[in-house]
Amino acid sequence: MSQQLDAETETTTQTIRESLNQALHEELERDERVLLYGEDVAEYGGLYKISEGLYEEFGEERVFDTPLAETSLGGTAVGAALAGARPVVEIMYADFLPIAGDHLINYAAKMYFNYGDETSVPMVVRSMYGTGDGHGLHHGQSPEAWFMNVPGLKVVMPSTPREYKGLLKGAIRDDDPVIFLENKMRYGESGPVPDEEYTISLCESDVKREGTDATIVAIGGMVYEALEAAERLSEQGIECEIVDPRTISPLDTGPILESVEKTNILVTAQEAPTFGGFGSEVAAQVIDDAFFYLDAPVKRVGAPFTPIPFAENLEEAYQPTADDIESAVIDAIET
Amino acid sequence: MVHETINHTELLEDLLLTRRFEEKVLEVYQDRGIRELPHSSLGQEAVGVGACYPLEDDDLLAPSLRTRAAMLLRTPVEEIVAGMYGTESGPSSGRTTEHHMGSSEYGILGTTGMIGSHLNPAVGAALGNRTLDNDRVTVVFFGDGASQRGEFHSALNFATVQELPVVFVIENNQWTEAMSIDKLVDVDDLADLAGHGLPTEIVDGQDVEAMVEATAEAADRARSGDGPTLLEAKTYRYRPHAETMPEHRDEATLEAWKDRDPVEMYIDRLLERDQITEAEIESIDEQLQTTIDDAFDMAESDELPDEETLYHVYKDTEIDHWKGVAK
Ligand SMILES: Cc1ncc(C[n+]2csc(CCOP(=O)(O)OP(=O)(O)O)c2C)c(N)n1
Ligand SMILES: [Mg+2]
Repeated sequence: MSQQLDAETETTTQTIRESLNQALHEELERDERVLLYGEDVAEYGGLYKISEGLYEEFGEERVFDTPLAETSLGGTAVGAALAGARPVVEIMYADFLPIAGDHLINYAAKMYFNYGDETSVPMVVRSMYGTGDGHGLHHGQSPEAWFMNVPGLKVVMPSTPREYKGLLKGAIRDDDPVIFLENKMRYGESGPVPDEEYTISLCESDVKREGTDATIVAIGGMVYEALEAAERLSEQGIECEIVDPRTISPLDTGPILESVEKTNILVTAQEAPTFGGFGSEVAAQVIDDAFFYLDAPVKRVGAPFTPIPFAENLEEAYQPTADDIESAVIDAIET
Repeated sequence: MVHETINHTELLEDLLLTRRFEEKVLEVYQDRGIRELPHSSLGQEAVGVGACYPLEDDDLLAPSLRTRAAMLLRTPVEEIVAGMYGTESGPSSGRTTEHHMGSSEYGILGTTGMIGSHLNPAVGAALGNRTLDNDRVTVVFFGDGASQRGEFHSALNFATVQELPVVFVIENNQWTEAMSIDKLVDVDDLADLAGHGLPTEIVDGQDVEAMVEATAEAADRARSGDGPTLLEAKTYRYRPHAETMPEHRDEATLEAWKDRDPVEMYIDRLLERDQITEAEIESIDEQLQTTIDDAFDMAESDELPDEETLYHVYKDTEIDHWKGVAK
């Protein structure tokens, strides 16, 4: 299902940062059970200023700063959700998610399965990933593959301002535990966002660009790189279709399969190391369900199997970009 | 009195080195940038300097991101600076930042960007050293923020029941990024968080001699098999959490702390006791400044690392780093 804005929708051009702030604001206003807490989210307004003004508006019962304790952030969110609240916690950098990992993987993900009734864990963990700022090995890892192997968790990685807003609202209203991943290098990216209230449901892939010659399945910040690669390829007469799953798990493979059936070429793009990553799962799903439509081996674009390096040139070598996507598409087509 | 056993020229050199280094970092960062985002230790230098002073050369240090003194007193200055620039001559040739450096050669336990995640590894290092039957002591530095984690309690407890040779040093600068400790912990002294049957001591972190004395005692206890000690050093940072963040703390409080500047306090005391002359201080300072300036000049003209440097992931197995598979 494509989610292009129709021409009549009134929109405002705004950043991802503003969109997230609006989403939090609207949900805090709409539902008194929604809580927002984490390190530096209240008085400071979030390290990257995502929650600016919310503490002032909603007060410290609803929006508050916490001790430096990710275990508590994960564990208390599970408990609050089981008791009926709708907690949104910020675990600053995604590299810190493993500290709360026990609560996310062993608790949040499994309580709906474990309970004898309809009790679930409606919590959202917001966290940042993204390379390119010289923050080195512990402040930029893309963690989607760590969590997509956990049944019961939902993993969301939006790309555009419109989706950041709609999906965060969708995640807060969703009854399952959601890990909501924000690319810290893209907070300033801007685009049209509907003026009217809207939400976007989880687990629906979206076609970001239509094309007939190759399918690029890109996630998070890599959607921008894919769009850039597609523009360049278009100048060379190659029209790429870009599918943005938006929710990594549970994955909506429909639009991916449909696209591959049309283009017969598949390239995946992610920031995390390629081995054992999201692209590998997409490739396997396509091989399962659309193998005979493929004209060439699947190409996966991602990082090498190393930690994120610090030195400028090493980080550049590490980070996958539009160039890598462009050559992967050409390679696949020329095979 | 401990000050009678201190070599004051050396201790002052350590303190001034750290101070001048941090000043230079700020100056260069503001002027033309440095790849590693500075998290300045200005104002807190006496904690690390004093705690390192009474240690043996092979004692192990586990610094926090702000314990610049620990890095500087163990590592050649030019290596530290190259580490901040991410150039070839840095501790890991640019693979990681100087903040996170680890070096067996210099006795620095590899550190982490996860605040407080180094506490249990530091306790483990003490366990390792006990297993190897040497008498190395491990000194682990961390902030008030780290003391809010469960890691803090589990590390203290493990070290205490195992009577391991560890000295825990809280650098309590009273701020966890932009959050004041008052909102995060309901005790006045973090030493009161400890429990676990472990001896604690509150130390004036602006007084380098007090830090030397407290750490010397704690290290002796550890070395003689009597187990760990927790020192809470009360201190304050002069700069915001990181150089990208605005100053939002109360100005009067900051000024009051600056009135008890660790470098000035120590110098005044030495002059008063006739343990050093103004001329001697000046000559130490000049020499240090040259060393530091040279180190920055070297880093600025140093080469970026070779791409091969990245491929340092597994020690025992060769892999294809792009495909992620064994060769
Ligand atoms: C596990 C973890 N949580 C959060 C952060 C983000 N962060 C970096 S430094 C810092 C504050 C640390 O405060 P403290 O331990 O008092 O050390 P100080 O910065 O004051 O030296 C925070 C919250 C982090 N790096 N690691
Ligand atoms: Mg602190």
